[in-house]
Amino acid sequence: MILSLKRIGAIFIKELHDLKTNINILIMYIIPIVIAYIYDKLIPGMPEGFALAFGLLFLVVMVGMYVPSMMIAEEKEKKTLGVLLLSPATPMEVFIGKGLLTFVSVLVSIVFLVFISSGNGLAHLDIILVGGILTTLFCIMVGFIVGLLSKNQMATGVVGTPVYMALLLIPMLGSMGSPTMEKIAKAFPTYYYNDMLYMALSGLEEKKTLLDMMPEVGILLGSLIIAFGLLAFVYRKRGLEQ
Amino acid sequence: MIKVNNLSKSYGEKEALQGISFGVKEGEIFGFLGPNGAGKTTTLKILTGQLAADGGWAKIMGFDVGKDTNQLHAYIGVVPEETNLYERLTVKQNLDLFCRLYGCSTEQTDYYLDQIGMTQDKNTQVKKLSKGMKQKVLLIRALLHNPKILFLDEPTSGLDPASAETIHKILLELNSEGKTILLTSHNMEEVDKLCHNVAFLNQGQIVEAGSPVELKLEHSTRRMRVLIDEGDGLVSKELDMDGEESGAILSQWMTDNKVRSIHSCEPTLADIFVKVTGREFS
Repeated sequence: MILSLKRIGAIFIKELHDLKTNINILIMYIIPIVIAYIYDKLIPGMPEGFALAFGLLFLVVMVGMYVPSMMIAEEKEKKTLGVLLLSPATPMEVFIGKGLLTFVSVLVSIVFLVFISSGNGLAHLDIILVGGILTTLFCIMVGFIVGLLSKNQMATGVVGTPVYMALLLIPMLGSMGSPTMEKIAKAFPTYYYNDMLYMALSGLEEKKTLLDMMPEVGILLGSLIIAFGLLAFVYRKRGLEQ
Repeated sequence: MIKVNNLSKSYGEKEALQGISFGVKEGEIFGFLGPNGAGKTTTLKILTGQLAADGGWAKIMGFDVGKDTNQLHAYIGVVPEETNLYERLTVKQNLDLFCRLYGCSTEQTDYYLDQIGMTQDKNTQVKKLSKGMKQKVLLIRALLHNPKILFLDEPTSGLDPASAETIHKILLELNSEGKTILLTSHNMEEVDKLCHNVAFLNQGQIVEAGSPVELKLEHSTRRMRVLIDEGDGLVSKELDMDGEESGAILSQWMTDNKVRSIHSCEPTLADIFVKVTGREFS
């Protein structure tokens, strides 16, 4: 398959223009930043690194999944995908163009969040970014799957909310001391990103460098491959327009 | 240019197309007429590669629409029935996207906006445009890559008469520049005015086809309506077109300066549709 960078770029530019005027989606970028700021600056006694870790996990999971799911569902609802696919753009280019904007914008937001947060986030930017990149890519694919399974934007709430909640809350609950919850949480890739953030930012763990975290990186990579396979399966079954 | 042979398509139990065949020549405007649910949009979606047929075949410029879809897209422009533009984007952003996808210069956008008289609206968000203006944007979008064939699904549906008239003018100009056009409509007057050839589609079958003039002559009752001035008011009379008697009566009225107007009584395309299907056209 030959991919055209020009066509991917065209879809990226379109999504960028669209994002600038889409209040619903812009709010999703602001929420984790505001939450992290409140935990970091306004609530005393928060464990070290908690505010930044929570903000990052929320950003990567919620924005990473919500934005692509809405992009696909809106195109289906407004019947714009049909005409996009009548052009030389292939479905793969459409996915990459849309996913690229989410990916770049989440990475920019991650860096921004690290810069405005107190603590040692900057010192562990490599861990935050590597884990963030892999988890964001995973979440974008899950978001696409939610978009493909939803008939319209409203339906992304029904299809997506349980998935978003599971990937966001269960890893956090798993790290709160319950062995049963931890076992369940280990089935979710976001648990490992949360774990990486905790190890890097809490100041309590011995494993602090990226090299120490290769098992977590490996699991995230494996999750990425599984998510890609699942996306390919759902796309083959349902196509882009159903 | 377009050849369709025994094309069929079903949605579950419902047969949307029951083996239709027709052809469209280069430079022709061809109209598909029929009520809602007749199979017009299904035909158009199959021809543009958006839907797979269950049986039969269709070729456009020699390309099989089911197999050579990607090559075909370079030669066709499609105006769908629904106004599927990106509402939050401006007119220019919408059009530039497709210029980039087709690999043509974004100057094309400015050229067509100028041609259609929408240059001043190029930075307006699509959601702020009227339905007629959105329809023009859809038309420009279909033209950006200079296709040889245009497919239009109900191009003036829901438009006010002035906007519909503008779209008609644009289509006639495009046709005079050599574009082949296939359109679907349930507006008989529109089809009568624009199309060189039409096909009536009813319940997935072509029930009549030909040029509007030929069809009207073929189904004509060969009578004429004459408006005459009887001195105390205007009276409408009907005469056969054939025969010495009608000639003599008409001649006498003309000699007496009574004739105010003469119209042939050929049926409209709507009348013909009702006649051949036994079904009201709605």
